[in-house]
Amino acid sequence: MTQFLIRRIFWAIFLFLVATIITYLIFWVIPADPAALAAGKSATPADVARVRHYLHLDEPIWRQYLRFLWNLVGHQQLGNSFVTRQSVNHIIGQDAPVTASLVFGGAIFWLSLSIPVGILSALRPRSILDRVSMSFVLVGISAHPVWIGLILSYLIGYRLHITPIVGYCNFFPGGIGVQCSGPVQWAYHLLLPWITFMILFAALYVRLVRANVMETMSEDYVRTARAKGASESRVMIQHVLRNSLLPVVTILGMDLGLALGGAIFTESIFNLPGLGHEVINAYNTADLPTITGIVVFATVCVIVFNFIVDVTYGFLDPRIRPS
Amino acid sequence: MRRKQYLSLFMLVLGVALLVAATTVGAATSATQKASKSGIKKGGTLKLNENAEDFDFVDPQLAYRTDDWAMLYTTAMQLVSFPEKTGAAGSQLYPQAATSFPTVSKDGKTYTFHIRPGLRFSDGSPVTAAAFQRSWERILSPKMGSPLGVNLDLQDAIVGGTAFLAGKAAHISGIKAKGLTLSFHLTKPNATFVSILSMQWFTAVKPNTPYDDKGINVYPAAGPYYIKARNPGHSTVLARNPFYKGNRPANPDQIVFTPNVDIDQSLLQVKAGQSDLDIGGVPATAAADLAKTYGVNKGRFFVGATSCVNYMAMNNARAPFNNVNLRKAVNWAIDRPAQVRLLGAFAGKRTDQMLVPGIPGYHPFTAYAIKGADVAKAKQVGGSAIASAPTLNVIHTPTATSTNRAQIAEFNLKQVGFKINDVPTPATNYYQVIQTRGTSYNFVTNGGWCADYFDPFDYLNVLFDGSKLQAANNNNYAYFNNASFNAQLAHAASLSGAARAKAYQKLDQELMVKYAPVVPYLISTNRYFTASRVKNWIYSSYFGSPYFNALAVG
Repeated sequence: MTQFLIRRIFWAIFLFLVATIITYLIFWVIPADPAALAAGKSATPADVARVRHYLHLDEPIWRQYLRFLWNLVGHQQLGNSFVTRQSVNHIIGQDAPVTASLVFGGAIFWLSLSIPVGILSALRPRSILDRVSMSFVLVGISAHPVWIGLILSYLIGYRLHITPIVGYCNFFPGGIGVQCSGPVQWAYHLLLPWITFMILFAALYVRLVRANVMETMSEDYVRTARAKGASESRVMIQHVLRNSLLPVVTILGMDLGLALGGAIFTESIFNLPGLGHEVINAYNTADLPTITGIVVFATVCVIVFNFIVDVTYGFLDPRIRPS
Repeated sequence: MRRKQYLSLFMLVLGVALLVAATTVGAATSATQKASKSGIKKGGTLKLNENAEDFDFVDPQLAYRTDDWAMLYTTAMQLVSFPEKTGAAGSQLYPQAATSFPTVSKDGKTYTFHIRPGLRFSDGSPVTAAAFQRSWERILSPKMGSPLGVNLDLQDAIVGGTAFLAGKAAHISGIKAKGLTLSFHLTKPNATFVSILSMQWFTAVKPNTPYDDKGINVYPAAGPYYIKARNPGHSTVLARNPFYKGNRPANPDQIVFTPNVDIDQSLLQVKAGQSDLDIGGVPATAAADLAKTYGVNKGRFFVGATSCVNYMAMNNARAPFNNVNLRKAVNWAIDRPAQVRLLGAFAGKRTDQMLVPGIPGYHPFTAYAIKGADVAKAKQVGGSAIASAPTLNVIHTPTATSTNRAQIAEFNLKQVGFKINDVPTPATNYYQVIQTRGTSYNFVTNGGWCADYFDPFDYLNVLFDGSKLQAANNNNYAYFNNASFNAQLAHAASLSGAARAKAYQKLDQELMVKYAPVVPYLISTNRYFTASRVKNWIYSSYFGSPYFNALAVG
């Protein structure tokens, strides 16, 4: 187990370095001058040079990158935004809970829908339920989350007045400038974003669960369990679901990381002040520290999720424990 | 088989239960939100959206964007400012914190203000002359990392400014604050000095306000409101200044700004009464329907003029637009009505001049085809030089509107015989490309300018004084440089009063009739839609927005 952990940690460090280097290089290739943007519309070359020096943009890229690494490792600082000059740590600290609310809440929604529907479809292939769920899959995969979000907010939020059209409330009461807070308002405001998220991912998971369950049900050990007189619920829970849901755990771990990317659309449509929204704004203003900070954070999240998946996998299936 | 489905049914029921619970809560909350009252009276929370962006800074000495300033105006106490009045009256400066306009020394270099007694910050402390001295020091302090002051060469305008900016002095020697008396010693006479003071940078700040290059978010203010809370990217909350005793309106108890809202969603929110107004305006495609449903300026859909002029620029420094006849030909060729239509209904007024209404010296004239392209005239004016002109690099940003604008302009240019090379350029790089001297572009379609302060200097001198051209970051991205015109600009800048206005009126006309360095096509308007409970709409053409402190939702 120790060897496994050490290997994973080294792999994580490698991934982290690659992700940040690529981000830096991409930014370097983009033909934008953050110093000119920050200096304002009437700045003289001397002003721009002064701002460039102030932002350390007059240094070679490798030195900027090393400065970034040193600040991160030595001081746990991701730097300051070029545009608002806020600490990127603070920005991420403010935005990450919003994105986490969306992603984890959305995951609960999509799993709550896709697992039962997928199982029912597998148990009754080509039934009406199966056909309806497969149609849902087709729509969910084909429709863009922006379109889904706009339609939902128009119909449910604007026409029916059931939910807010956009907006976010903190889960915990209080906070700076908070207008609404508490678990109930939090869930109420996130309902449509969760459903938007759910439709996209549930479509994929229904198909995955359905295929896995159907495949597992035809396995020899399921037939053997039935032959030994095991009850149907025991067969389903102990033999079919346990095995057929293993790939779901794997995919879920990866999708939670990918969902950070998908959150960009959902957060933009529903005005959720999360990381996705932040990274779009940062891109539009060539705000390298913010972009890099969010990339680093997302990289760490993906690495952590994958690690959790690896460990969970071992618990679910003793055959693949690291030892 | 039924027992096999228990697990799946349980999960399905759980999901449905969550949905029902959340929607029930939603219905209850919606009912509460609908119970708002109407009528013009104080109280309530004014809920404002800001589509697609947030204030970059709320620190008055770092903020520069139009939306920043419109918000800061509600918190500001300035020596001179604009009153909360609609139309021309709203663009007339009045002494706000000062007892009167300044007394000016005979040599025109010393301005003395007297501050009204009894003014207080939101923490109860008095406003003295030192409050205005501090705002200047925060603008020019090297500890602030603010590029703003030096953008206007303020360090050169005030005695001791350069030494202070260089960190060689603790204070700006040319600013003396004693009790309620404040004096400015300028390096040379400056007819725009009082106008410059109307900018939000020069609002009163407490004399002990720290130098902070990250900017301050929450601080005592002396205007009708102060910033009570600010969470960048999430919200900004203004509350009424309990110590403000002046005549300026302060109708809502609170003003809450929610940033980064999608513009279409924001409109739905306002229609549904979940928000009161989007300070970024309405989608261009929605304006016609809103006008049809609610009328224009009749209660909910408002159209207001701005100080912004939209124009296309020709690169006067390189062929073929170093030929004045070709520049004039282009002014005849461009279809201004088509460009205006592109921005939706009520987008603004066609123009072919650079000054806008409200700016001293503005006098409307027509020199070119503002009712539509005149291809025949363009060909006649351009003559054979059109056919021999090199291919034009037409540069624009790749957004849908910019691309459409460029397509129309390119069609117009092709109509008269120009050859076109379309050059879409990312917005993050666009101004860097066009503002760098020696750039290879010939024609730029995304040009525009809004007033920093209401003075023709801020348009004509800033945009067309060729003697100020530098290696990069040129506002004069037409690269227009005419020695005679430069001298006239300098002379006009030295004048004051009616003579100044007359001089700039002449220059505005001469610029286009004689030199035509750019193609002005639109004096833009802003379009707003309010929730039904919003009353007391007073519009500022300077900010291009309503006065937020005047809006009533009580």
